[in-house]
Amino acid sequence: MKKWLPVLVFFSLSLSVYSGQDSVELFGYFESQAMGADIKNEFLLLYSNKLRVDLKTSLSEKVTFAANFDYITFHGKTDWNILDFLPSDVTAEVPAGTESFYMLPFSDRHFLDNAYLKLSFKHFDLTVGKQQISLGTGYVWNPTDVFNIKELFDPTYEQPGHNALRLDVPLGSMYTLTTLFAPEDTWKDSAKLIQLKGRISHFDYSLIGIEKVWRFHDYTQFDFENMNFLELPGKRQLLGASTAGELLGLGVWAEYAYNWMENSEDFYELVVGTDYTFNFQTYMMIEYYRNTLGKTDYEHYNLNDWMRMIALEQKAISRDQVYVFIQHPATDLMSVGISTIYSISDNSLALVPTLNYSFSDNVEIFAYLNFNIGKEGKVFAKNMGNGGMIRARVYF
Amino acid sequence: MNKLMISCLIALLLVPALYGQELMGEDIVQKVNDLFNVESGYAKAKMTIVTTSGQKRTFIYDSWSKNKGEKNLVRYLEPRRVKGQATLMLNNADDIWMYFPRTQRVRKLASHAKKQKMQGSDFSYEDMGSGDAFINDFSPKRLKDEKMEGYDCYKLELTRKPDSDVSYSRLIMWVIKENFVPVVIDYYDEDDPTLQEKRLVESDIRVIDDIPTAMKVVMYNKNDNTQTELELLEVKYNITLEDSMFTERGLKK
Repeated sequence: MKKWLPVLVFFSLSLSVYSGQDSVELFGYFESQAMGADIKNEFLLLYSNKLRVDLKTSLSEKVTFAANFDYITFHGKTDWNILDFLPSDVTAEVPAGTESFYMLPFSDRHFLDNAYLKLSFKHFDLTVGKQQISLGTGYVWNPTDVFNIKELFDPTYEQPGHNALRLDVPLGSMYTLTTLFAPEDTWKDSAKLIQLKGRISHFDYSLIGIEKVWRFHDYTQFDFENMNFLELPGKRQLLGASTAGELLGLGVWAEYAYNWMENSEDFYELVVGTDYTFNFQTYMMIEYYRNTLGKTDYEHYNLNDWMRMIALEQKAISRDQVYVFIQHPATDLMSVGISTIYSISDNSLALVPTLNYSFSDNVEIFAYLNFNIGKEGKVFAKNMGNGGMIRARVYF
Repeated sequence: MNKLMISCLIALLLVPALYGQELMGEDIVQKVNDLFNVESGYAKAKMTIVTTSGQKRTFIYDSWSKNKGEKNLVRYLEPRRVKGQATLMLNNADDIWMYFPRTQRVRKLASHAKKQKMQGSDFSYEDMGSGDAFINDFSPKRLKDEKMEGYDCYKLELTRKPDSDVSYSRLIMWVIKENFVPVVIDYYDEDDPTLQEKRLVESDIRVIDDIPTAMKVVMYNKNDNTQTELELLEVKYNITLEDSMFTERGLKK
């Protein structure tokens, strides 16, 4: 921490100086969050504070530089034993003597999340540096997005930046061709993406091809040399498509991706969704998700399945799921809602009542509770921990 | 001479009758629609929501429109919480996209999104007669002229068309005869045409680039006892706007 302090002070001072100039914007937010979960009859609490400082400047009409620095501190229960959440037949797979490595640590972090330069030419935009990559039309799940996995209970939270070089070429007013290169150690291992987005009638369409190394782990083997679980990198080649539009007055969207895997079985993912706003202002959304990497029988979930899901390496372990979200503005400043995630494959359910409150122009409060309704061993089993989260965020 | 006098007399008798028939409800709504949908324009607006408890929330945004309202772009400037959020509406708001700068995600919305409140205000997108909503969603009927807010006004009743999905069963609109500004609009419940939900009042009417413009618009929500004030801080009409501004690339700028 001490060695970072001068850097932070310098960063803040530099930004203060820059912010004095008209063309430089300094903004961001501070959020304080408390999470709780009932694990083995004990209510465990994790607190975090996050400061995000954004800098954005248009050096000219054609050149934009943007960056943000995140500083996050954790308090309370900062080491979670993953084995506490898992069914006994799964924990039996843990190799003897490695139990202490199945921990989910929450350590203080500070990092440059995004830092990129965007060059806008007449016929294309070139973005270089760490940047967010948002792909697909799905709300909770995005089969075509191999860069991010959204939190099920908080799917609109911002995603981290990825180091990449991105080229967007508008083809007329209706189409855009995007190519992206995310460098790794070698050209062969680097991620490459090509996407064509367009509009036909009232529908948006996109076709996408991606090649990327998927770095997931074998959680039944511990690599003592690297002090981590054994990494199993394998090339993933994806071909996908997505669409969004309107049908019979309903918003509709779909997203599909087929994945050819170098070292494991091929699989596909599919999302189909619809939404509607009623005249009485209630908003409703339903999204169905299929992932053929997921299993149809919960008794076949193994240690790797669970660990890959918890470590956000894999989007789902159950094959078919449905997300339902209903929200209503209770007052001018407060919206209440409930989301339900139902695992069709293992017949388990998570109920998540939500609340959004605008405390003032730049302060918002978001809270949810989560109740898991399912037998031990299922995705939303009670022993995964009922609990909730409350977050207050102030923007500056 | 007698013939001339008789002709003049007939003309004098006919003029008021002809004048009364001159503008049907459809004509007046068309003129209101034309006034709303100028060839191109830019506005910087301040929206202030006053809640039931008297709290205020203030938003400032830029908006651009082109092709008589066929293309629209709105970008929020304040508060910080929503800064950079933008909405693109094409084809008279039949196609809507929203851009969220925090996630850098563009989301295509169906037209039902027009029913949603603008940033929790008492305005929904359809309240503002987005695109040709007054013409496409309602059948107008001219009622007896009335004075409203000190102006001589045409009074119209707009009844929802059977195939329309708009959130109101009918509107009552008072349109200033002199300039066709709808000075007051009453919005009635979607199921109960006798139950008034909201009232919109336009004021501070100025002529900008030959176009009469209400610089202040207040929406009173009768059900929730709240109100939202929309104040135009800057207005320009008939400006040159590139088509590229009304694309996903323009939305994300």
